Amino acid sequence: MAEMWISMGPQHPMTHGLWTLKVKVDGETVVDTEPDLGYIHRGVEKICEARDFTQITPYADRLCYASANTWSHAYIYAAEDLLEVEVPERAEYIRMVAVELQRVASHLMWLGAYCPDVGNLTGMVWCLREREMMMDLLQELGGSRMHYNFPRIGGVKRDLPIGFALRCRAKLKLFLERIQEYEAILDESTIFLVRTQGVGYAKAEEMINHGVSGPNVRAAGHNYDVRWAHPYSIYDELDWEPSVERPSIKGSDCYDRYRVRVEEMRQSALMILDGLDKMPGGADTHYQSGDPAILGKAPARAAEGQTGFHHFEDSRGESMFYLAGGGDGRGKHPYRVSIRSPMFITIPYASKCMIGYKIADIPAIMGSFDPCIGETDR
Amino acid sequence: MANEISAKQVLSAAKEIVADVADFGDAVNAEVRHHTGGRRKNAYVYIEVVASEWRELALWLKKTKKVDYCSMITGIHWPENADATWQVVAHLMRTGVTNPTVVNKRVHEIKVDIASLSGNDVPMEFEITMTIPDTREPSVPSVADIWVGADWNEKETWDLVGIDFEGHIGMRRVLLPHDSPTGYHPLQKQHKLRYHDFNEMYDDAQGFGRKPEDSGRVK
Repeated sequence: MAEMWISMGPQHPMTHGLWTLKVKVDGETVVDTEPDLGYIHRGVEKICEARDFTQITPYADRLCYASANTWSHAYIYAAEDLLEVEVPERAEYIRMVAVELQRVASHLMWLGAYCPDVGNLTGMVWCLREREMMMDLLQELGGSRMHYNFPRIGGVKRDLPIGFALRCRAKLKLFLERIQEYEAILDESTIFLVRTQGVGYAKAEEMINHGVSGPNVRAAGHNYDVRWAHPYSIYDELDWEPSVERPSIKGSDCYDRYRVRVEEMRQSALMILDGLDKMPGGADTHYQSGDPAILGKAPARAAEGQTGFHHFEDSRGESMFYLAGGGDGRGKHPYRVSIRSPMFITIPYASKCMIGYKIADIPAIMGSFDPCIGETDR
Repeated sequence: MANEISAKQVLSAAKEIVADVADFGDAVNAEVRHHTGGRRKNAYVYIEVVASEWRELALWLKKTKKVDYCSMITGIHWPENADATWQVVAHLMRTGVTNPTVVNKRVHEIKVDIASLSGNDVPMEFEITMTIPDTREPSVPSVADIWVGADWNEKETWDLVGIDFEGHIGMRRVLLPHDSPTGYHPLQKQHKLRYHDFNEMYDDAQGFGRKPEDSGRVK
């Protein structure tokens, strides 16, 4: 049969956003792929060159609509490296709570989008139900539902609201019970197993060479995690282990990537519960905004020659900001902002990963890598 | 229980690398630097390299220092600096990720014993920078065949900044439209973006009156 190219996207349920996957098919079999990105390129890196350091946080938020807090924190840690800022310990705990809540919400959004990809609509409804609890908690922290603009250079915008710890504990305990429900409906669903097991094999070393990181690598059987390898924040004081999955000899399949994310949600929830207990000053105390206990002092300018970068464990892999100081306004703006998006590097790899499988496997394989186009196109 | 790498492990591993880089002579300058923000001032390896030696250094890092991961490649345009108009910064990492071990046909996932890591097994951050003097066609050697992860990073750097990579196969626009004009790379500094202060934003919230500084000029 003759080979031909077909375009999946930019409007296709598989893409989870605006991009095109050109697929070369021979009958039903995929023989070559070529991703085409850039449909929602907004030029964030250029815009940031004309903003001062505090104004960039909302732009970082909007890089990923499913995982805003992790992105603004990734920026904040790089900015603190550039501006040489000390952060109070309590603020680091609050940030950890915000980031891990966001990680749970992001993975729930992923699972919620992945279930209908492989023919299980119930899973989506259930995941979005639990995501709502996380969104409520994040809304209490940041004040809005999606783009929180929560961290500040040197600390956080505001302390945990009064009663937050109580509600957070209750909701996370409920959530930990309900994770078992997802496992029950997915692990015992024949359709889900048939469509995810044995497709989209990926090996750990190959993924690292291709620049893929985070949960996708942990699904392939190595517990590499930026949070222990390049430590930041207060993760050393918490009792946790990065989740890791046992793949097959051929590598991790879509099912392993689903398992590792479910495990990671559980790990993050436990981490938050642990962090609330260990928080200096107690999780029930409430400091006013701007109190030195939650917000350190930070300079507003960075001279030319100063640089800062920070590797951050995003929900989708290793994200990073590289900032060069000394832009306009005598260093009030960065001279150059460069953003490392995990999905920008992962999408080309995931596209190569599906060669040899059937067209019907494309949504299952692509979705299992958790693509997010907001951060990809920047 | 140690559940993350200690500053001491990182520092000694970084010093080891810097000492070994000295074999390259004048073309490569390496030093141990420390992060300056946050709670930990972790050490990382900072290397300045002559652009023509970059590929050789990359091969050496990959082979003897087990650097297995290319995080990001950034291009910066410094139009006022004639000696170093173009700068390329590569952020590499040593992750130490290996495929899980197989014993008696059973796969065993790897859980690293973090406290025992030493030498080439310690995860490490690298910042490698190189500069190119003023030229219309800046380019540095490509490392996309050493770390495949560099492939799309290099495409992006060419697309947005206009720095080419010699030996890169299949260079094309990735973020900008495919039919963007030749030579148009928006992160070059001749394309100006004006700062709008907050007063201006309130007076003209919709932004009808705003224009970029270079509007009307041929780009």
